[in-house]
Amino acid sequence: MSKALEAITAGSAPGRITLLLYIGWRNIWRNPVRSLLTISALAGGLVMVILYAALLEGMNRQMVRHATELGSGHIQIHRQGYIDDQDLYATLPWRYLRRIESEVSGVHVAPRLYAAALASTREASYGVLIRAIDPQREPLVTTMLRHIRSGTPELGMAAPGSDGLPRERVIVGAQLARNMGIAPGSELIVVTQAADGSIGNALYRVSAVLKPLEPGFDRMGVLISIDSYQRLMALESGFQELAVKVNDPSRVDLLRQQLSALCDRVLDEMPLEQDGGRPVVRTWRELNPSVSDLLELSGTFLLIVGAIVVGLASLGMLNTMLMAVHERTHEFGILLSIGMKPRWLLLMVFFESLLLALVAALSGSLLGSLAAGYFERHGIDFSRTLPEGYDWAGIVFEPVISATLRPMDVLYASLLMVAVTLLAALIPSWRAVRLKPAEIMR
Amino acid sequence: MDERNGLHHPVIKPCLRALMLLAACLAPVTPLQAMDVATLIRHIDRLWRGETSHARMSMTVKTRHYERSMTMEAWSMGKAYSLVVIREPIKERGVATLKVEANIWNYLPKINRVVRVPSSMMSGSWMGSHFTNDDLVRESTFEDDYDSSITYEGVRDGRRIYELTALPKPDAAVVWGKVVMLIEQETLAPFRARYYDEEGRLVRTIDFDRQQRVGERMVPMRMTLQPEEKPDESTVILYQEIAFGVPLDKGFFSLQNLKARR
Repeated sequence: MSKALEAITAGSAPGRITLLLYIGWRNIWRNPVRSLLTISALAGGLVMVILYAALLEGMNRQMVRHATELGSGHIQIHRQGYIDDQDLYATLPWRYLRRIESEVSGVHVAPRLYAAALASTREASYGVLIRAIDPQREPLVTTMLRHIRSGTPELGMAAPGSDGLPRERVIVGAQLARNMGIAPGSELIVVTQAADGSIGNALYRVSAVLKPLEPGFDRMGVLISIDSYQRLMALESGFQELAVKVNDPSRVDLLRQQLSALCDRVLDEMPLEQDGGRPVVRTWRELNPSVSDLLELSGTFLLIVGAIVVGLASLGMLNTMLMAVHERTHEFGILLSIGMKPRWLLLMVFFESLLLALVAALSGSLLGSLAAGYFERHGIDFSRTLPEGYDWAGIVFEPVISATLRPMDVLYASLLMVAVTLLAALIPSWRAVRLKPAEIMR
Repeated sequence: MDERNGLHHPVIKPCLRALMLLAACLAPVTPLQAMDVATLIRHIDRLWRGETSHARMSMTVKTRHYERSMTMEAWSMGKAYSLVVIREPIKERGVATLKVEANIWNYLPKINRVVRVPSSMMSGSWMGSHFTNDDLVRESTFEDDYDSSITYEGVRDGRRIYELTALPKPDAAVVWGKVVMLIEQETLAPFRARYYDEEGRLVRTIDFDRQQRVGERMVPMRMTLQPEEKPDESTVILYQEIAFGVPLDKGFFSLQNLKARR
């Protein structure tokens, strides 16, 4: 001990720190059981935080995927008139679609049209929302047509029935199918007011029933092809909505600017009639403000929960170190009386805490990553406890939630833990410094 | 062949109401006598029931987005039954609307199906015009749902008129907050009706003109609906011919006949 003291007092600064680190490390293992318990409490806390972060991230990604791949795409273009009050006539001419397809790279686009209508079976009538899609383009933008519970997702003209009347094919939302008691093969009569004021009417045959997409659409939505829509609605001037998939999602904001500029150019070349308003380009964050709010909220959640868990674990650390200092009061007294400077003593206790924290951080992030990796592959299945199409604030959850591990989350969680435990370690260190050798030795 | 003693073209409420009123006024009361509202309403009621009509007319609808005109044939019996069939344009030939009491069915020949208009669609446009399905149905309950009174009697803008104001009864489930009808004293033909919402704002105006003598009374053959908020839009109904007292029975206003009449 006195040799070591000599080395500390006489040696250079780096050498001194190395030595203090070494002593700190040795001190940890003077009471291995207590130290191991402390380490496992800290590491356990870290595992929890990492797992929580990974599951939250997994849910967030799933939510974004739901919002973009399943329905909205990354970007949408409408005219202001359609955004304001779903004005049927606020269409963008087809040349906008052609120009975007030929002049913007790295995107896929799908045009859509909407209309309110009355759908009837022999038994019942329901108000429905028709969404007309392009069966060729839509699958390149969203996975809507693959999200099928029963039947085959075909659109367009169907074979005429035995009565010789023409029939078209329709895909029906999950809840609507249940409410109306229809299944693939059922007949649906659709009546609406067409764009020319006539009574738009057509016979449809249900070709498929969708899985839950979003609550509004599940309850009221039917999918038909744009060809069918044009025959039903006598509206051929263009489309109301253009869903855009960006091949590299990190370039969404850039492409939004590009698309906006292109729309402005096309508008300048040939102005549209006033009523429908200008074309407006919006990203999914603007289209689904609830999703993007939820994402921001979940970041805050993560920080709060992380701080609480790590804070609790670091209380264990505080206790351990207070005990360690207390036990060694006498020893510290001797050290101080033979010339150890109080700040070196402080550093020694501090290093002891730091090493504890580092060991815990290493083992915790390793275990946490392993656990998160497991749930990334296997997912947690809630399908027994969640009703189908369960939604929160209009966002449908998939019943199987799988984790997504982000390395940065592990790093931040470890740093947070080390920082919080070091803060806690200041108290015992401070007590070590305040010791008065004369009083202790008496 | 017909008695020509009443005018009830059934299709559209305002028109109906106007004509109803006219019919009532014209029948047993001497035109220049002071009008008693109770008598008026009682006459409307009595004259309406069991009454039948048959008319051919055209309707021209002008909106910001489309203009369409069509010709129609219509039958009615009392205030509860009516049937309208579109004759032109070819694309819509045979599309028919049957009204029985408060129910409306549309027959759609293209898909050979009859579809009942559910209550949620009653406020929707009828045949793309500015009239609603509700307009077809509501008129039958109008007398029950509104309190009417003569609020002006005298000369206005150079002609002698009655101003009839109808206010909904307190518990009536009605669309309008107030309806004001202007009637020419000399002919007892209505020439303007104004419809107000519950806040007292004018919503639409219907003008009646081109009076023609049918039997003993003057019938306005043209009505022009003008929505207040859309001055460039309108719906005009023009009667080519109208006859009263034609032989019809309840069986005529059936779902079977709805299909067969195309």
